[in-house]
Amino acid sequence: MELVLLTFLPLLGALAVLCTPRAAEGLQRGIALATTLAVAVLGVKLFLGYDAAATPYSFSLPWFQLPWRDGTPTQVHFSLAMDGISLLMVTLTAVLMPIVILSTWGHVEKRVKEFMVWMLVMQTGMLGTFLAVDLVLFYFFWEVSLIPLYFLVGIWGGEQRLYATVKFFLYTLAGSLLMMVAIIAILFDRGTSDRGELIAQLGQTPLEQQLWYFAAFALAFGIKVPILPFHTWLPDAHTQAPTSGSVVLAGVLLKMGTYGLLRFCIQMLPDAAVAAAPWMMALGAIGILYGALLAWAQTDLKRLIACSSVSHLGYVVLGLFALTPAGLSGGMLQMVNHGISTGLLFLLVGMLYERRHSRALDAFGGVATVMPLFALFWVFTVLSSAGLPGLNGFVGEYLILLGSFQSSPLWSVIGLTGVIFGAVYLLMATRKMLFGACTNPENQHLTDLNAREIVLMLPLVVLAVWLGVRPNDFMGKVEPDLAKVGRRVAEARQSTAALEPVTPLTEGVAAR
Amino acid sequence: MNAQDLLQMFDANALRALAPLIALALGLVLVLLVGVFPLGRAVRATLVVASLAASAVLHGNLLLGGETPGKVLAGTFESSSTTAMWGLVFVASTLFAWLYSVRYYEEDAPFKNEHDALMLATPIGMMLMAGARDLLVFFIGLELLSIPLYALAAFRRDRARSVEAGLKYFLLGAFAAGFFLYGSALVYATTGSLSLDTLADPAARAALGQPMALVGVALIAASVFFKVSVFPFHLWVPDVYEGAPTPVTALMATGTKAAGFAFLMSALVLLPASTASTVALIAVITMAAGNFGALAQTDVKRMLAYSGIAHAGTLLLGVAGAIHGDPSNGGAVQASLVYMAAYVATAAGAFGLLALLERDGGPTTLESLKGLAQRRPWVASALTLFMLSLGGIPATGGFLGKYLVFSVAVRSELTGFAIVGVLLSVVALGYYLRVIIALYMQSPEHDANIPAPRPASAATTLASIVCAALVLATGVLPGWLLELT
Repeated sequence: MELVLLTFLPLLGALAVLCTPRAAEGLQRGIALATTLAVAVLGVKLFLGYDAAATPYSFSLPWFQLPWRDGTPTQVHFSLAMDGISLLMVTLTAVLMPIVILSTWGHVEKRVKEFMVWMLVMQTGMLGTFLAVDLVLFYFFWEVSLIPLYFLVGIWGGEQRLYATVKFFLYTLAGSLLMMVAIIAILFDRGTSDRGELIAQLGQTPLEQQLWYFAAFALAFGIKVPILPFHTWLPDAHTQAPTSGSVVLAGVLLKMGTYGLLRFCIQMLPDAAVAAAPWMMALGAIGILYGALLAWAQTDLKRLIACSSVSHLGYVVLGLFALTPAGLSGGMLQMVNHGISTGLLFLLVGMLYERRHSRALDAFGGVATVMPLFALFWVFTVLSSAGLPGLNGFVGEYLILLGSFQSSPLWSVIGLTGVIFGAVYLLMATRKMLFGACTNPENQHLTDLNAREIVLMLPLVVLAVWLGVRPNDFMGKVEPDLAKVGRRVAEARQSTAALEPVTPLTEGVAAR
Repeated sequence: MNAQDLLQMFDANALRALAPLIALALGLVLVLLVGVFPLGRAVRATLVVASLAASAVLHGNLLLGGETPGKVLAGTFESSSTTAMWGLVFVASTLFAWLYSVRYYEEDAPFKNEHDALMLATPIGMMLMAGARDLLVFFIGLELLSIPLYALAAFRRDRARSVEAGLKYFLLGAFAAGFFLYGSALVYATTGSLSLDTLADPAARAALGQPMALVGVALIAASVFFKVSVFPFHLWVPDVYEGAPTPVTALMATGTKAAGFAFLMSALVLLPASTASTVALIAVITMAAGNFGALAQTDVKRMLAYSGIAHAGTLLLGVAGAIHGDPSNGGAVQASLVYMAAYVATAAGAFGLLALLERDGGPTTLESLKGLAQRRPWVASALTLFMLSLGGIPATGGFLGKYLVFSVAVRSELTGFAIVGVLLSVVALGYYLRVIIALYMQSPEHDANIPAPRPASAATTLASIVCAALVLATGVLPGWLLELT
């Protein structure tokens, strides 16, 4: 029941906002903030109370029946459940959303009502995606979360917003419709859409068929992540989206892709994952490098961060498909890290843009002299993003590189060079923007961050430090579930025997 | 056949099977009658609604009331739970079209009586088509549907486009009718029967393989494909749909298509399993023709006409699956029923809202929709919902239908076609999104030309609310519809 409440509370909030008169903007903002805060409290409570050993939260109701072979129906369930993997994603979503809503005070001035409605609907879609156990339900939430962003970018976006939003929508839709065909085929093959049952059963299907399923799922998730050849929608969407849209997009929506890769491509189809792992690792590693080079070449700050997203999510893919315990943990952790660091970066760029109405790197210089607090937050975030030890990014990147080295030194090393490039483009941008003399007269009267802006970023800053110093507070919750995934993969490896068995990680290396 | 035999044929069972049709026919006659007297519009409206409601109730009774009459009238007409469900779809389609037509025409438009009478005739034709077990019964149904529609399409006699639409539809429709009759004659010549059940016998099936019978079947298929607007018989659709009065377009787009597919699903026996991939190929080409055609349109009504072609293609893919697979398991019939039910609510709602906007006096171009969300927020949000449903996005009825039809295709090992079809529906989103963009994300360029919104009539409001509710209800809680079908 907690899960249903958690998922649908934002939708209720959206309905409440819908009932307010159009002019009552303060009320609409208030309702949206209160709703997301309530969800955040619920989410954090669930997180703190979560115990992997106890019975996990779950909820299931028969939803409807689909025809199956010979007229026997397949029961589709409205079933939500939370294990460690979902827990982390749900908490991230719940914590991020009030911050996003609070950030809209600065940049959403027109059509506030619609904006809040879409934001809240999107939260329901995202939470549902992370919690859904039934494949059909998962697909349902997956697509529903697509529509709000389409509107958020299309109405409140920048100059090229229509191009960007249609591109985003069609790219994602193409992938997800192929996933729908795969879901149909799986349902027909197995007669169930329950993830748990499918995890147990899909190993019995021939490898070739599994690979087809894998391809369809990986394409859908790969476009969303985005993995290399499908990444071109992301810089456009990010650049044109309003700040809050960018934060949600980077913080949560892209994670739906990596979450899907872990959940479906790896956990549900381990045999295919083992077979495809070298390719996926290659794509991940090339993505790290390519994304970093792209980011290096950008002159627009938001585009730069968007490209850095491609690079950072390349780590996640590399880590996950290393299929080693360290790689899986690192990939999982890096998903959260990326949400925090990139979320912060987008928030900061948005705050700068609200003051200066420019994102061009050349327009700035010496901002640190007029906005010292901004500079402080920016440098902190950049360091967290670049993986400075003691902050969140380091732990994730370290585990990923360690894990991937165990299964493929080549791609690990290529990924490693991305760390260097990552530091290069982030620090270069920082230098150009913050330091030097403040020559441009337009920059000389910028006001520093106000209390609201600081308050909304503080939770993320705290999380970044916490994750950097005590990652096990978080990873401890998710490790038992990742271990399950790891065992399935190990079995798959043994049965295919095409690859060398991996030496098990010595206890104590992971995340310590 | 003497009088005795005739009486025996019309037994209680036959009456029960035909009651929904008779109710409509009675309503039709009464509407014509009251037209003679200077009675108010209210009486006529009551009659139309009452006869449609009676027909719906009688269908509902057949659907839920246990045993259905089965085959009646010497086996030429069937009344099953499937045909009852189709009947409900037809009634809904007519009712929506009628509700939207109530205030569509000018206050003093002539022949409104005849308009309503013609509208009431069409569902009778559709029901005959869906229940036909004999090719001639089907033909009677086809004509009973088509002839009123020819007149209705040309109903705005003062507008050249409308007359052109009527004439075009009539000429091509007459050809299609000729094709059908000629095809039936060829089938009869080779097999000696027009009964679909007799044609299912092994001996008849073998005879159907002869070249002459195949030509006959091809001609029959061509005429049905014409009615449901399948490639290469789809070219009339944009002109006719655009020229006809919009409520009539809604009726043509939803009811005619539903009736055609109801027949296709019950006449699978005519198509040997070897034709499955050909039909699937035609389906995919139809989808491509419709979607790419729609992409080029700037008028929303015309765009929806092309989108209707694409939807016919999708449904045909389900038919192909049924041909290929085992039709007796019912999955394909259910899929097409659900798809059509959702499509009726969606397309009727979309065309109906366009009719409402036409009444404001403006065109129905994308340009004229710009900024509508500010002027008419409810219309814009309903139109958005319908566009998303046409595009098959989850939480709308359109998704359920699309899911079921594609799953029929996948189950029947037509996965390749299903994948192409799915990708073509990405193209479809390209133009559905354009409508939403105009509604919400663009503002009008010339403020002066925007006609002031006139209040929507109660009938329009009611129809739109019901359509939107149905679209959402089938999308979020599909169980009830799946159970009914």
